[in-house]
Amino acid sequence: MRRKLVRDKASRPGVETVVVIRLYVSGNAPNSMRAIANLEAICREYLKDTYKLEIVDVFEQPIRALADGVLVTPSLAKVSPAPAASVVGNLSDRSSVLLALGIEGASR
Amino acid sequence: MSSPPGVRASNAQHSGMHGAPAFEDLIRRLIDAPSERQAIESGQVDAILDPLTGRSILLPEAQEALRESQARDHSLVKLSCDWQWEKDKDYRFTSCEGARIGSWVFEDKAIIGKRLWDLPFDNMSQGDWRTHRSEVKRHAAYRDLELRSHDDAGAVRFFTVSGEPIFDNRGNFKGYRGTARDISSLRLAEAASQRSHGIVRSALDALRAQICVLDSTGTVLYSNAAWRAFAATQDCTGIGLSEGNNYLAVCDNAGAHERVNGSAIAAGIRQVMAGQREPFRYEYGCNTPTGRCEFMLTATRFAGDGSASVVISHEKTGVRERARRFPQLDDLVARRAPIANRVLAAMPREEYRRLSAELEPVSLTFGDVLYEPGDPIRYIYFPGDCLISLLTQVEDRMALEVGLVGSEGMVGIQLALGVGTSSVRALVQGPGAAMRMEAGRFQLELKQCPSLQRELYRYAHQLMVQFTQTAACNRFHVVEARLARWLSMTRDRVKSDRFHLTHDFLADMLGVRRVGVTNAASALRKRNLIEYSRGDITILDRKGLNAAACVCYRIVKKLFDDSQH
Repeated sequence: MRRKLVRDKASRPGVETVVVIRLYVSGNAPNSMRAIANLEAICREYLKDTYKLEIVDVFEQPIRALADGVLVTPSLAKVSPAPAASVVGNLSDRSSVLLALGIEGASR
Repeated sequence: MSSPPGVRASNAQHSGMHGAPAFEDLIRRLIDAPSERQAIESGQVDAILDPLTGRSILLPEAQEALRESQARDHSLVKLSCDWQWEKDKDYRFTSCEGARIGSWVFEDKAIIGKRLWDLPFDNMSQGDWRTHRSEVKRHAAYRDLELRSHDDAGAVRFFTVSGEPIFDNRGNFKGYRGTARDISSLRLAEAASQRSHGIVRSALDALRAQICVLDSTGTVLYSNAAWRAFAATQDCTGIGLSEGNNYLAVCDNAGAHERVNGSAIAAGIRQVMAGQREPFRYEYGCNTPTGRCEFMLTATRFAGDGSASVVISHEKTGVRERARRFPQLDDLVARRAPIANRVLAAMPREEYRRLSAELEPVSLTFGDVLYEPGDPIRYIYFPGDCLISLLTQVEDRMALEVGLVGSEGMVGIQLALGVGTSSVRALVQGPGAAMRMEAGRFQLELKQCPSLQRELYRYAHQLMVQFTQTAACNRFHVVEARLARWLSMTRDRVKSDRFHLTHDFLADMLGVRRVGVTNAASALRKRNLIEYSRGDITILDRKGLNAAACVCYRIVKKLFDDSQH
């Protein structure tokens, strides 16, 4: 199983701002798997077609993770739009993920 | 599969120290970063990255989980293949382990150090190997490469081999890892099945009858040599079809064509497919280079679990040929239901004996159509224990029953009056046995046999009374009384208080809409005269039902009863 999926759901560029996010994981270790599931659920619910998610497996791309300044896995980085933000852990705390992604008014 | 470095044997490589200053720096950065620290403390982190190399230092829980998942993967791999192997970067086997099932190639230790193309497989050409070698040179994964070899005893063995390249952490090619399976039993079974398929085909090809096999949509899956030869020269309904064509569609499009009714054939085959009828037989005439021939189409359900559904056969028949070919069937019909037709029974013994030489016992099944309106009459029928409805058709869709023929009469009476075509549809409504005679023969016999003439004229008169009475009845009497009449008439003819009839069928018989039948049947049920469920009708009170029937029933019955004395 190659953990290098790129979800490009921005089918209508320019209509809405596309949120580019990157999730660093360690293979299929338990917290990494949980983080993927949690993040996908949040994106489906709040961002629909307006996000671009890249999952980076640090086992396969250690140098890249290092260059991006990742200290631990799993960790999530919002790349654009500014401001950049990050969340560490398995993303079970929804509110901090929503805050980092800049999704306002969502208090669930 | 991504390989978690922390789980492999070289654990120290990942969790080991890479210089104290770097490690201290890492710890310091973690302590300084409150969110990372908090995530580690709450057990939400899998790995910490070595800031010098980027390698992962797995936390104990993650390490354990990955070890388990790898063990799980390993056992699944073992289940799904016979052998697992690894090759080095020169494509030489470094390990191969797994089952001991007597397939020497992958079980022999001599395989170590050899390349796949050094092994004694005999199905790969030089070109095949060149293709494979260029694939692995590109470090491409390969799936199910099929190889063949012979074991020590000389028996042929088939294998499939799959492989995937492996790379180290820096992305350098290390070799291949993969699996192999022995698929000999599968391949041998396939070969055996192909052989038996071939035997079946040549057996069918050797038969004189034209045979084809249809799938559940009516598409011709297979046809035998006789069929193909006939198809090449003929264009009779359905018979000029080759494999891949849809038989039902052709029959549907043909509609009613002189003496072949395509719609009736299609309907019969669909009934066979649905399991409502077994088998379906249809006789028809067809012009062939050697003159006009009679054929019998038989559709039989196919009792296999594959896609085949129905076997169609066309056989050349004639009265005598049929009797010769199906003596057992006819014996069976004759034994099961001794023919008790009243017209025949009324004949003097001598004349009956002469007639019976020309009579042929047949078994009629529910839904058989003996004639369509406008059809030339080829056979006349003396019903035994079966029941035939005479239906008149209005505007091609509405049907109305005008007469009912059972053991008291004959189907095809027009011929006795010199009319060679049928004006009505004769539909078998109660299955059973009958005697039939070829039309030409019947006309000859009729001329020579005054008692038969007398009996048939008498019956023609009775039938005329039935027609006129039915016409008046359909116009003046309520559906409930007509239903009661119809059920009573059916009872008299099949001599049973129970029979199977759907509401749709009854609606056709009485020329009313289905809802009219439902209302009338409920009314009769309320009066405790009948019981019905799912088309099974039981007469509870015969006298009550006779009384509920309109006067037409008693008029026709009296006439028939009188004629018997």
